[in-house]
Amino acid sequence: MASTPTPADDVSLVIVVVDVNPYFWVEKANASTGTSDIDFEQFLQHVLAFMNAILLLNHMNYLAVIATGSDSCSFLYESLAGESVSDGEGKPPSKRMNKHHTPSAKIVRGLKDFVSKELAFKTERKDNGKRYSLLSGSLSMALCYVQRILRQDPPHPHPRILCFQGSPDASQQYIAVMNAIFSAQRLMVPIDSCMVGSQHSAFLQQAAHITGGIYMKPPHPEGLFEYLMMVFATDLHSRRFLQLPRPTGVDFRASCFCHKKTIDTGFVCSVCLSIFCKHHKECSTCGYSQVSHHRKEAMIHQIFKQILAKKWWKC
Amino acid sequence: MDFRPSRLAVVANCVEAFIREFFDQNPLSHLGIITIRNGIASRLTDLSGSPEAHIKVLRGNLECAGDASIQNALDLSRSFLCQVPTYGHREVMLIFSALGTCDPGDVLESVRNCKEENIRCSVVGVAAEIYICKLLCEKTGGIYSVAMNEAHLKELVLEHVAPPPALAEAAVASLVKMGFPQRGAEGTIALCACHREVKIGGGYTCPRCKARVCELPTECFICGLTLVSSPHLARSYHHLFPVPVFEEVPLDAKFSGIQELSKVCYGCQQLLPLAGSKVTGVRLVCPRCNKHFCFDCDVYIHESLHNCPGCESFCEPQT
Repeated sequence: MASTPTPADDVSLVIVVVDVNPYFWVEKANASTGTSDIDFEQFLQHVLAFMNAILLLNHMNYLAVIATGSDSCSFLYESLAGESVSDGEGKPPSKRMNKHHTPSAKIVRGLKDFVSKELAFKTERKDNGKRYSLLSGSLSMALCYVQRILRQDPPHPHPRILCFQGSPDASQQYIAVMNAIFSAQRLMVPIDSCMVGSQHSAFLQQAAHITGGIYMKPPHPEGLFEYLMMVFATDLHSRRFLQLPRPTGVDFRASCFCHKKTIDTGFVCSVCLSIFCKHHKECSTCGYSQVSHHRKEAMIHQIFKQILAKKWWKC
Repeated sequence: MDFRPSRLAVVANCVEAFIREFFDQNPLSHLGIITIRNGIASRLTDLSGSPEAHIKVLRGNLECAGDASIQNALDLSRSFLCQVPTYGHREVMLIFSALGTCDPGDVLESVRNCKEENIRCSVVGVAAEIYICKLLCEKTGGIYSVAMNEAHLKELVLEHVAPPPALAEAAVASLVKMGFPQRGAEGTIALCACHREVKIGGGYTCPRCKARVCELPTECFICGLTLVSSPHLARSYHHLFPVPVFEEVPLDAKFSGIQELSKVCYGCQQLLPLAGSKVTGVRLVCPRCNKHFCFDCDVYIHESLHNCPGCESFCEPQT
């Protein structure tokens, strides 16, 4: 039974958010250019080895794994749950060493359950060609889990979140992802990202910039494990002494609500803060127009008076 | 029980905490500080959007003397707030420790002027309830509260951080032109427009006149364009799209068999109370996604995260 961690700078809680959006992985496999790319099975091997390494680096490290699908998100594994057996029965040591109870085996089993549930979701509703993964949901769940760990008795491990993302950014999730980023900033939880797809993600670049995490897109994905060990495996305290990938540039420009294109200057509605590229008389999000409410009411009042006057004259 | 070490020190601490929280929750807003000393109101800092500037001046100016004058304070605030464009919301927060006001004229006229100019005045009293403060707040639609001890004072001051709901009649909408500058690359050398000094690396370039500014949000010093970054706007979006209030699930509720009560909280995977189990506590449900949460997750979601994990993890089927 693990005792409460002694105060140490290098105890970490790592929450790994894995993008298992099947649309992305299938497209990637179809567009693969040979040995310089990896498919889902190889990717999983690298990531599982990395997660085992995290648990080996310090016997008090905690790990949690969340899968991000295109229709749902769920926890695949928590190392905390395995240790605190609530019904009082401890598993005998021989069983714990069994290959079916290692973290990797549990994660793979969890992943199989998750994928079959996702398939069930798709057969229930018509397959509408969804391309986006639900990053905002996984980040929110990860942050609730961090809060739970921080609520326990001190001292706590230092939490951080590592996202493996390949699917493109979904503009409808912008507000939710930004809420999660700001909450992570307040909790001082860095959000690291490792891009496994071909494009960059503006959301995760902003997340890394705002929370003080690392954003990386490995140029040679077939060596993914090496990148993970060199960059993401160390605890937060040791990061100060290491040369880690520096951010090349963060695009803070906004995209307009009407065409979704990035703009340098735009018009912002003073009521709802929606951004437009051209001046409109009315805001399409909140319906507010430039004519003030007072003037509108005065106009309606005038029209009413005229109608009443005419009616009075007639009768 | 009075405030230790001195009322001014306690109030200064509360104001500093308020300034930081205020700019965190309202990054596009401006704040200015006015002090009342010997019956005269004087400007401590101008309306600006930088928290550090305010806190530095506040810390250097901690003396108290003489009577307080609400009329002078209100008149000076009005002269600053009249420059605010019509779409902006104008507010005055008065932290008042005196037991009366010493005015050169009719304070009720100042109150009337504030009401006419749509300035919402709130007062946080440190000593006792005073009629003129109560009247001021009632007439202008503000909140009057009196602190009982230090912790209560901080709580009352921080209550004013969140923006008040805007009345539909009072708000005038307009589309305000703003620029979204890009961050300069490390290593570029430029003259910054705010400090008139040579700066190396970092900084932001105004998209209209290409002047360099050091931090955001700000107004470009050369062409006057308001410069913001998209996270600043995004920080306020949660006020517009709040998470629905979670409802409590009675533990002995009988579900119609579609789904069993889930054993763990959807957010943090902690065990939830069930009829007959040893776990105590409450179980809450989100009315939109029907996922169950524990009490601590509910507090965290509504106060800090502003996202329901259940609603975000569920993809709406496209019609």
